[in-house]
Amino acid sequence: MSEHVARLLTSEIEKRSGVETELIDIAKMQLSTSDAGEAIKQPEFAGKMERADAIVIVSPEYNHGYSGLLKHVLDSCLKEYIHKAVGIVGVSAGPFGGSRVIQNLLPVMRELGLVTIFWDVNFSSVHGVFSPEGALLDASYVRRIDKFLKELIWMAKTLRCGREQITID
Amino acid sequence: METTVSGISNKMKCPKCGAEMNFHAQKITYGIGSSAGGDTETAGGTLQEFHACPKCGAVASRLVAA
Repeated sequence: MSEHVARLLTSEIEKRSGVETELIDIAKMQLSTSDAGEAIKQPEFAGKMERADAIVIVSPEYNHGYSGLLKHVLDSCLKEYIHKAVGIVGVSAGPFGGSRVIQNLLPVMRELGLVTIFWDVNFSSVHGVFSPEGALLDASYVRRIDKFLKELIWMAKTLRCGREQITID
Repeated sequence: METTVSGISNKMKCPKCGAEMNFHAQKITYGIGSSAGGDTETAGGTLQEFHACPKCGAVASRLVAA
């Protein structure tokens, strides 16, 4: 069901003028598991992270946490993330909308140099939110996503200006 | 990876377009080669600088030598 959520987010981002986006399905990346961290950096993924001003992570919640695959992929880059904006969308079959996975991702985002926003989107009882074909059944999510994206884009613009114009010393 | 000496300001050139980059962050990183309990400031990690290109948006990093 997270794929439906990710496609919805992508389509909502694509509606905004001046914003380019791309959906990356990490399950299709085939990242090496023989090592970890920047040792297994994949040029295509790293190039996309370098070009991005902001990242939206759509994550299902597994036993209150995130998947090992998500962490493995995130760990493969570092300089590409520094002082860039990130927003997190939690997805769960239960009533809490992935709130625990979001909380558990926050320290990881910080250590990767990403700047989190204070809006999240929580998809609770996600099996009831989409039709089997992926059509959104609850329009209230569009308003929540709008608030989330406005904050994310503001942060992305601000951080881009900072990265390119404001020197640390 | 390029290395710079702490305290000396020398602008990085963008690896993609050659423009002068902006130095916007420093971070301690840990990995192979880090020594536990070494330098007090970095707690055994290595200090990296992060730079962004105002022309093309490229990013670059380099180690800071003690």
